[in-house]
Amino acid sequence: MTISVKVMRRPEPGETSYLRATLRGMALTFKHLVNPKKVTVEYPEERPDLSPRWRGTHVMETHADGRPKCVACGLCPTVCPANCIRLVGGEDDMGNRYPLVYEIDEFRCIFCGMCQEVCPVEAIHVGVHFENAEYTRDRFVYDLDRLMAQEHPSTLLWDPSDGASE
Amino acid sequence: MDAPKPQAVTLTIDEREVTVPKGTTILRAAESIGIEIPRYCYHPGLSSPAQCRICLVEVVGAPKLAASCVTEAMEGQQVRTQSEPALEMRRGVLEFYLANHPLDCPICDQSGECKLQDYVHAEGREHGRSREPKRVFGRDDFGGDVLFYGDRCVMCTRCVRFMNEMAQDPRLAVVERGNRSIIDTFFDEGVEGSPYSGNIVDICPVGALVSKDFLHKARAWDLEHTPSVCPNCSQGCNIEIHTRDNLVQRLKPRDNPEVNQYWMCDYGRARYEWLNRGDRIEAPLIRTGERDARAAASWEEAIRAAAAELGGAEGPVRAVASAFVSNEALVALATLVEALGGGEIVFRSPRTVGEIPLPGFEKLARREDLAPNREGAEALGMKRVGTNDATGGLESLAAHAGKLVVLGDELEDAGPEFGAEAAAYLYLGSYPTEGAGRAKVVLPITTFAEEEGSFTNHARIVQRYEPALQAPGMARPAATVLEALRAALGTPAGALAGRRGS
Repeated sequence: MTISVKVMRRPEPGETSYLRATLRGMALTFKHLVNPKKVTVEYPEERPDLSPRWRGTHVMETHADGRPKCVACGLCPTVCPANCIRLVGGEDDMGNRYPLVYEIDEFRCIFCGMCQEVCPVEAIHVGVHFENAEYTRDRFVYDLDRLMAQEHPSTLLWDPSDGASE
Repeated sequence: MDAPKPQAVTLTIDEREVTVPKGTTILRAAESIGIEIPRYCYHPGLSSPAQCRICLVEVVGAPKLAASCVTEAMEGQQVRTQSEPALEMRRGVLEFYLANHPLDCPICDQSGECKLQDYVHAEGREHGRSREPKRVFGRDDFGGDVLFYGDRCVMCTRCVRFMNEMAQDPRLAVVERGNRSIIDTFFDEGVEGSPYSGNIVDICPVGALVSKDFLHKARAWDLEHTPSVCPNCSQGCNIEIHTRDNLVQRLKPRDNPEVNQYWMCDYGRARYEWLNRGDRIEAPLIRTGERDARAAASWEEAIRAAAAELGGAEGPVRAVASAFVSNEALVALATLVEALGGGEIVFRSPRTVGEIPLPGFEKLARREDLAPNREGAEALGMKRVGTNDATGGLESLAAHAGKLVVLGDELEDAGPEFGAEAAAYLYLGSYPTEGAGRAKVVLPITTFAEEEGSFTNHARIVQRYEPALQAPGMARPAATVLEALRAALGTPAGALAGRRGS
């Protein structure tokens, strides 16, 4: 068996110049400097525009008298692929079915929006919202009161500009 | 005298040939080859009024569609359940049902096990066409465990026929006519006090009759179903245990023509909470010196300690069993006692006065024995002691000086000095009790819902049940524990073999 020898081809001096690559890089940089489409948003003084179909933390819709719209049908915990919704149903003093416990673990949530899609009474929604910072981890389990108190707008899962998509 | 051999007829259902005894209905014939024809008013345990019109099928040559629940199968008949006329008729019938059905599936307890939901999904129209307002009845308390939502009713009258034919206690009726007809009770008490009224909730094909106990508790699709045997009397009704999150949510009857047909009593149905008790013995405990000083041990240590205790002690052995444990555990106990030299085994079981029969099915009654396995214990030569509320009877055992083994009995009235004189005292149980205070070794065992086993019912039918729940902590089936203990004592297995089948 012979020993095979690999001969490395050394680059020619003309090829080792980095000038061309540098110039190409700088050209890109200067293009961005004058590109009118790309801007830096001065967050937090300025807020980015979120799509109306953005899927952020949840919102529970309420009736005019402050009761949650949820009827504890159990479809959202059933459909939830991340298993992040805990629901215990009960009966209120008017004989209506309502959630005794409704908790969403926003850490587990993957924001797929299927809970909103499956809800037969349009109670639970994902929201147009992204600022979720908290000081402790346990604050990320949103209970019913917190979900009802959310103030950000809720998401449209379809494209609002396309009437046929709803 | 020999009964005349039933004549057989051969017919074709959906291109498949089937032979059934003469007199069988088309619906049953189809069922026998796995074709389900929709039904609301038909129930195998009740008469068939053929009024729901959902089971209509095409019989070739017949002028009209036939109600398969009452039409007898005939020789050479050609039945089509999926032909265009049959499907078109069923679509129409379903549309009529939905004209007044509220479609409140999200808040309806029947959702997920509702026949209307199933059939409309399978064969109904995609969208409703009705624009008229629906009739509204609201809900009505029928008494007992039964709540009635009139809007959801499809007027199949199964509940009325159950009360008339099975309970033979007519308390329900259809009132009004046509569009306004509705199920109602005669008097204010409704079905209150009727011992079998819970069955009307089971047979209701929609969510019109729902259980108050189960109301809003769990969704049907979240429940796990485990075949089991009702532990609340010696009838041994076949049941399904419905569990969710390792808790029993409800009990439902499972059909068995020899024991309970399709039914079970309200007494048995309501008593499942004890299976959800949280106060359990979760680990083997070995007493370390003083009476309340106990240390949790591994199974290996505990079995070794128990074997050393029983093997080393002097004196005759006596045992207390329970009528709530499986045949397997009872045999294992009898084998162990025999291996230790043989001795008397007693048990206590609750008993009431008077049976509560179901008039429409004479084999079924709430029996006097309120324990599932008294017959099994007595078949093994164990003796029932104590009073009818399962107390007393253990006075001579409390001061027994030899070896003492207690299996399953909670020793509620025995007091902390029970077994104080015993040379060796072993307690196997599920729940912490004062009576085990003097036991050298306490071993945790599972309840019937957490293990596989069998009960022998009042008619000596041995019925198996399957585990529905996860056992808490280190609890193990009593039969396994006793067998391990017998092996640790070094005695041969099957010492009782000659007595099996007695």
